[in-house]
Amino acid sequence: MSKYILKRIVMALVTLLIIIFLLFILVRIMPGNPFPSERMSDEQIANRRAEMGLDDPVLVQFFRYMKNLTKGDFGKGSSLYNGAPINTVMTTCVSNSFRIGGLAILFGTFVGLLLGICAALNRGRFLDGFCTVVSIIGVCVPSYVFLIFLQYFFSYKISFFPYFFQSSQFFFSSIIPAVSLSLLTLSTISRFTRNEMVEVMDSDYVRLAESKGMYGSTLVFRHVLRNALIPIVTVLAPLIVDLLTGALVVEKIYGINGIGKLMVDSIAGDGVDYNYVLALGILYSSLYIGIMLVVDILYGVLDPRIRVSAKGDA
Amino acid sequence: MNKNVPVTSAAEAAAYVPQPGDFAFLGDRDINTDHNFASQGYWKGVIIHFFRNKRAVVGLIIVAAILVLAILGPVMNSYGYKDIVAYTNADGKQITAGSLSPRVPFLHKLFTGDDYADSFADRTFLFGTDALGRDLWTRTWQGARISLLIAFVTIIIDMIVGMSYGLISGFFGGKIDIVMQRIVEIFNSIPRLVIVSVLAIVMAKGIGLVIVALLLTEWIGMSKIARAEMLKIKEQEYVLASRTLGAGSFHIIFKQILPNTIGPIITQVMFSIPTAIFTEAFLSFVGVGIVLPQCSIGSLIEDGFNNITTLPYQILPPIVVLALLMLGFNFIGDGLREALAPKLEDM
Amino acid sequence: MKKAIALLLAVVMVVCLCACGSSKKADAGYLNVMLSTNIMSLDTNLATDGESFELIADCIDGLTQMNADGAAVPALAETWDISEDGTVYTFHLRDAKWSNGKAVTADDFVFAWRRICEEAGEYAYMMDSSVGCVKNADSIIYEGADPTTLGVSAPDAKTFVVELDVPVSFFPSLMYFPTFYPINEEFYNGLEDGTYGTSPKTFLSNGAFVLEDYTPGTASLKVKKNADYWDAARVKLNGISYQVVGSSDSALTAFKNGTLDLVTVNGDQVDSVKSDADLSKSLNTVGAGYMWYLTFSQTENNANGGQLANQNLRLAITNSLDRESLVDNYVKDGSLPTYTAVPPQFAASATTGEDFSADQDMFKDYIGYNVDKAGEYLAAAKAELGADSFEFTMIYGNNEGDEVAKVAQAIKSQVEEALPGVIINLQPMTKAERLDKMQNDNYDVALTRWGPDYADPMTYMGMWITNNSNNYGFWSNAEYDAIVADCTTGKYVSDYDARWAALLEGEGLVMQEAVIAPLYTKANANLVKGVSGVEFHPVALNRVYKNAVLG
Repeated sequence: MSKYILKRIVMALVTLLIIIFLLFILVRIMPGNPFPSERMSDEQIANRRAEMGLDDPVLVQFFRYMKNLTKGDFGKGSSLYNGAPINTVMTTCVSNSFRIGGLAILFGTFVGLLLGICAALNRGRFLDGFCTVVSIIGVCVPSYVFLIFLQYFFSYKISFFPYFFQSSQFFFSSIIPAVSLSLLTLSTISRFTRNEMVEVMDSDYVRLAESKGMYGSTLVFRHVLRNALIPIVTVLAPLIVDLLTGALVVEKIYGINGIGKLMVDSIAGDGVDYNYVLALGILYSSLYIGIMLVVDILYGVLDPRIRVSAKGDA
Repeated sequence: MNKNVPVTSAAEAAAYVPQPGDFAFLGDRDINTDHNFASQGYWKGVIIHFFRNKRAVVGLIIVAAILVLAILGPVMNSYGYKDIVAYTNADGKQITAGSLSPRVPFLHKLFTGDDYADSFADRTFLFGTDALGRDLWTRTWQGARISLLIAFVTIIIDMIVGMSYGLISGFFGGKIDIVMQRIVEIFNSIPRLVIVSVLAIVMAKGIGLVIVALLLTEWIGMSKIARAEMLKIKEQEYVLASRTLGAGSFHIIFKQILPNTIGPIITQVMFSIPTAIFTEAFLSFVGVGIVLPQCSIGSLIEDGFNNITTLPYQILPPIVVLALLMLGFNFIGDGLREALAPKLEDM
Repeated sequence: MKKAIALLLAVVMVVCLCACGSSKKADAGYLNVMLSTNIMSLDTNLATDGESFELIADCIDGLTQMNADGAAVPALAETWDISEDGTVYTFHLRDAKWSNGKAVTADDFVFAWRRICEEAGEYAYMMDSSVGCVKNADSIIYEGADPTTLGVSAPDAKTFVVELDVPVSFFPSLMYFPTFYPINEEFYNGLEDGTYGTSPKTFLSNGAFVLEDYTPGTASLKVKKNADYWDAARVKLNGISYQVVGSSDSALTAFKNGTLDLVTVNGDQVDSVKSDADLSKSLNTVGAGYMWYLTFSQTENNANGGQLANQNLRLAITNSLDRESLVDNYVKDGSLPTYTAVPPQFAASATTGEDFSADQDMFKDYIGYNVDKAGEYLAAAKAELGADSFEFTMIYGNNEGDEVAKVAQAIKSQVEEALPGVIINLQPMTKAERLDKMQNDNYDVALTRWGPDYADPMTYMGMWITNNSNNYGFWSNAEYDAIVADCTTGKYVSDYDARWAALLEGEGLVMQEAVIAPLYTKANANLVKGVSGVEFHPVALNRVYKNAVLG
């Protein structure tokens, strides 16, 4: 197993390298200028390009970038928050988004699992219908609409929570955005849990277990849930990445200085900021690849019958 | 050769020469068919099961109703989806019907006894008007057309690309799986906005670009689910049995494993529809989606959200339509799931 | 089992709700102000947007400052002398301190000005021969000459001398623009490269406020009163707490809620504000300065082989637009319909005090809402171009404010209705892409805007000279070029009234040929509560808080 994990990590790094290279090329062909300006002359812009080394051959630029990257240096922005090294801007954004996203994941997964289990155990009854409605509302009402409702009732009608995000009272002011962000996760998880559990509960081995007199939490947790977890983990993985990497509109409304807004600003703001797009792209892909790695390993833990590496050489 | 084996005598052998007619076909007589339980095709069974399920039928009715309204809604009144309702008053000033709440003049008169007190007193706007003065009824159904198109495209992408990709990747495992999963990682890691911006260089902006963008990224979630299901199922005995009997890989994947994975796959399809609808809205929001004055459910929600506390009626119709659509699709999905894999229900 | 789950669920909810206290009240004596975009930079060389300039000006004083009417009054410069020929300004500095205790000296100005020219950022042009005309600025900015050759010097710590190439009538009013603010050289050089202005520790102020809480990209930031400010007695606020708010609807609710004291709302919210008796008292509409206009590409690369080079076609479009309806029905925030190439409300004559564009009817022969006339122009254009129908793509930015998409759709509807045979297709894109397309001459019609950088009509007029990078129409007119040259460096520089008249004449040429189609001059619908004395300006610094008093 450890050899397999090691191999997977090496592979992940190679994939990451390919992704960085592709991104490196793609941002350079995107429409829009890294130095948007209505007042600078062509010479001024040319000087800035030269200063950033954008006139060198792409491969030279790439190797220079990778060299700096190994030192943990993402470079400087060209148009966004000019001059400030990307690391200083990213640190706050990443910590805000990770903490709010993390809360949302915890809340969404936990409540989602609970709802899903309750619904499955009460199949066809009221709780099941309730769970269906909740999950449908959760997926088709955008999280920012929830945010506005929560903000309206809990910050405006009764001033319990702060109206905008405040880093000085972090946990308290994260609750509204975290809850509204978690609803998609909550509904997806509850729906998948319910459907998977229903399916597993109909399977022969669960019937056998039941006929042997097994019931209650032992049956649910040891036999049913464990087998239902695989697709749930699969659905959860990309949701985790999405939640951790921020949500544009929620951040805008609640005044959070997070990754989602930074990403859109760096691509669709006043200019296309190559280094920011790259830095955020690298962050996103490392998260994604890392989580997929964990998922693959989890598969084996959750269901010993699965050995991804059983066949082939891996 | 064992000489002790009794050998039929030549005389005996010669005694009988088989004649044609010794064995006769029994003709049409079909003795293998079970007449007690009438024969029924698989799909016929599916259909019967589906329609026996009340929720599925309700779902079907909802989706059908929205489909019909999407087709007929925009032509049911005289307002075009891009027509700004306006008139010029005596001073030569243009007055538009911007941000009017829903109104049906004769009902209003019935209950209050008065006409509306503005210049559009005799006009009917079932859902009101948007900030520019366009009829929201027309725009909602016009938008539903786009969003339904996107929903169906997503279903197709999910079912064809995502599912096959995931099943194949999971089934073969090993090197094939590794390479295919790395490709997924690469596709998923490049920000969608970057991909779409680059695409926009070679393609005209509009619904075509949105569909291509969805095509490039929407299948990934489904492929993950399909692969996970495959990993769970492929080690089961019936797969082994099938393989032992000499079934080809693709036969096993699509004929034997697929029907058993249909549950989570349908759930995933249903959940990817609103995601796709919002992806389209997001793309419109950053300027690479559908082109104004065209609209979609997503872009209407985006518009309405700018005035959500002051003019809540503007965001209500698109959200309700989307929620109903989702509800309908989910009911249909549940029904299909149960009909396709009848083990869930008592036969 | 079920009970256990229900119990767990209840516990989670209770924990979520109670793990927190109640929300804290905002700092006393602070004004809570909305920002509509993030602060991009606190470095005068890098800042390009109004919000950044506002924050810089909160913290740093220049040689002059704006009074309530927008006129330049002394700030760090107690007095100044102007030489006989108007080309040498000698500023006498008052005693003032940086927030690290060091005195503000003339060297700080010399350092900052040289740095602006050397690093040649977006606003370096304010020093060059098109605006400030500081001696040798052109050669440093555009040719990389030695920055020490810039025409500035510090004979002693309290005297700052600027040499100009030609007299610039509005020079003192340039001095309140952040590009001309001082930076302490010693402090700046002691910082790590690229970190100036990225945190309260790496930023020095000498103005009314000091930075209290700031990181680049932050959505909320604070400045607090500077006790060592030379005019500290005037500043009544304990500080300002800024909050970036991305949605106008949210801004309105935050205002009603008391979270924010000063917000800017969109037209859609203005309607609901006006219908509310209480709220409408807080409404305060002020000019935002910038003008939205249509620009037409006149080269044969675009518009079906350059159809828009036809003057009659452009006149047809500009006469088919109902600007009154645009502002009343779509923008709705008090913006003014505009019929002049230089918008009203920002440039008043120094001799008569009259606004340059006070008379919006002066070009009514060429521009206005007149469908019949537009039809005649269109008929003429059809005959000249031998075409019966025209189809153009209009590009506009989708990240430049909520009303832009509405205005674009309204323009499409108005033009198509008034001019049969003309079709306008809308093409939204990011501002970056729009600028890119305009600068590379790859568009037909663009909806764009320009805000005045300084209080002189030249901030607009300079755009339409041949080969200017903002001349997006690629229009060229020798007569116009000559007028602008005469007004910047030529024969009119020392004759104020003649220059004013010549500028009007030049504006007439732009309107006569419909180089652009002005649409409206933006206003900001502000809601203000519990504070008085905040000064709003359409040019340079949009909001000044030095005289603001809470209550």
